[in-house]
Amino acid sequence: MSTTELTRTQPVTTQPRSAARSRWRLTFNGALLAPGVILLGVLSIVPLVTLIVMSFSRVHLLGGIRLEWAGLDNWTRALTDPDLWQSWALTLLYFVATLGIEMVLGLAIAILLSKVVRGQGPLMVLILLPMFAAPAIVGLVGRYLTDPTFGLYAWFMQQVGFSQDILGNPVSAFVAVTLMDVWEWTPLIVLISLAGLSSVNPSIIEAASLDGANQWRMLRHIILPSITNILLVALLIRSMDAVRYFDIITVTTNGGPADATKIVPLRLYEAGFRFFDLGYAAVIGLMMLVLTIVIARLFVRLLTGKGQRP
Amino acid sequence: MKPVAETSSTFPTGHRNTPAPRGIRSGRRIAKIGAVFAGLLIVVWTVVPLVWMLLGSIKSSADVTAATPRLFFTPTLDNYIGLFSGANNLTPYLVHSVIAAVGSAVIATVLGALGGYALSRTKIKGKDALSFWFISTRMAPIAAVVLPLFLMFRLAGLIDTLPGLILAYLSFNLPFAIWIMSAFFDGIPPSLEESAKVAGCSQWQAFWYVALPLTKAGLVTTAVLCLVFAWNDYAFATVISGPNSQTLPIAATQLVTQTGVDWGQLTAIGTIVVLPMILAGVAVRRWLVSGLTLGAVTGE
Repeated sequence: MSTTELTRTQPVTTQPRSAARSRWRLTFNGALLAPGVILLGVLSIVPLVTLIVMSFSRVHLLGGIRLEWAGLDNWTRALTDPDLWQSWALTLLYFVATLGIEMVLGLAIAILLSKVVRGQGPLMVLILLPMFAAPAIVGLVGRYLTDPTFGLYAWFMQQVGFSQDILGNPVSAFVAVTLMDVWEWTPLIVLISLAGLSSVNPSIIEAASLDGANQWRMLRHIILPSITNILLVALLIRSMDAVRYFDIITVTTNGGPADATKIVPLRLYEAGFRFFDLGYAAVIGLMMLVLTIVIARLFVRLLTGKGQRP
Repeated sequence: MKPVAETSSTFPTGHRNTPAPRGIRSGRRIAKIGAVFAGLLIVVWTVVPLVWMLLGSIKSSADVTAATPRLFFTPTLDNYIGLFSGANNLTPYLVHSVIAAVGSAVIATVLGALGGYALSRTKIKGKDALSFWFISTRMAPIAAVVLPLFLMFRLAGLIDTLPGLILAYLSFNLPFAIWIMSAFFDGIPPSLEESAKVAGCSQWQAFWYVALPLTKAGLVTTAVLCLVFAWNDYAFATVISGPNSQTLPIAATQLVTQTGVDWGQLTAIGTIVVLPMILAGVAVRRWLVSGLTLGAVTGE
């Protein structure tokens, strides 16, 4: 997401080439790419520049939009705000918890599914369903399920002795929003891992089992090493999505109780659209963007590193 | 690309390979029972919230908030009727959702097919950089994108309009569509178009009549996934939309008020939002792996 990359490609498309035919071919491709690239430029590079400018400004909305130069004011405020750093720590904890559980659970379910000989298709469809649900709806249904007076899951918890308001208690609220995310996105890891498992060469497994390798050693030494790349793809895709989506928390706890679930994007929304401190919010936005770009860089390197898609 | 479900059945199962001694065989039986039980547990965990939502939507207001959860009750359509006849009618929300999601999906797929083809076939030097730009734009945090868009749209008068919402959705659907269509075109050998060109086709004809029909599945998958992403959005809509453009997820959250929540109607909206996307998603499940990993993993 930077201007240099766009401009770097432009001279090439218009550059005259020695062979007339190949020159025409490049301009044809350029013409096909142009509408998308131009529109995307408006929707990605202009916002990026705006975001950077905003982060150095005081943004006034009343009586027409005005940007007033504020120097490093927003930056120093953000970088020295202990609440924001606490949100980052919480975000890290939330990422590690959701991604960790989703990866382990997803891989385990995929291994289990790969052993199913008959009815694997329908089973897979059932397991995939949560992925298509709108996260905001997942959050709302989560609230319905955990409501202390009539929630189904709250009722189960009461039967086993936990009778507090699940979303009202800092620890259980954090666990609840984590599990909602796990519910929705583990299927994605299952889907990707299963594709990886089915690409493992069956003859290698056959040979290993003839050599007397048991299931566990086969998994540990043959299957897992051969799907590392695919698991890495799953992890990177999920981590980028984890930075993107926060709807579940917004509609369930909105960061509460006592900031126990206030991850960074929620703080950005609060700063930007409740206190209309858009300059400060822009700093938080840029911090998040840097994180995504680092992950995206790793992802692209993984894709192109081996000269082919894994 | 073969369907995952079919290819993975070639994955050999351990017990088929070698005749095992008796002790191991009974051990395996226990393992098998354990696996079936675990599988059952997984399916229950996955399906219960969705089923509970569906059941909630056809419960009367007394049943939906009964202190002891009720599995058996007299079903009613009151919640759905209430949604489409009450003071705050759901119809405009539904219309906004459809226009915004379909609009962005169609524009993204058309521009994605053109750009993706070019990206797949071109040999320009900046291709990697261009790819990186597409991926990082697709994956850019919504919270970071919505801030400048809010400012830009306010200047351009696009706040609370459907074109504004469509543009906001294009900010993630367009790079996705270009990228994923290029992955689908990568799977079609250029030699086919080359021979078409030898036979007298123009570049455009080779694209339109040869390459494009071969990637129909890719087009459908791209369109469906774009539709799902836009339809399910909440974070953009909550900032950019207003009374003239609010979508279904916004309508659902508006039912949560200080004075209480009408859970019957809320689960009904939830069902209306979730069900069509489940059907659409399941319809393209063969290509989901490629689509959702941005082409990094194919179902083969």
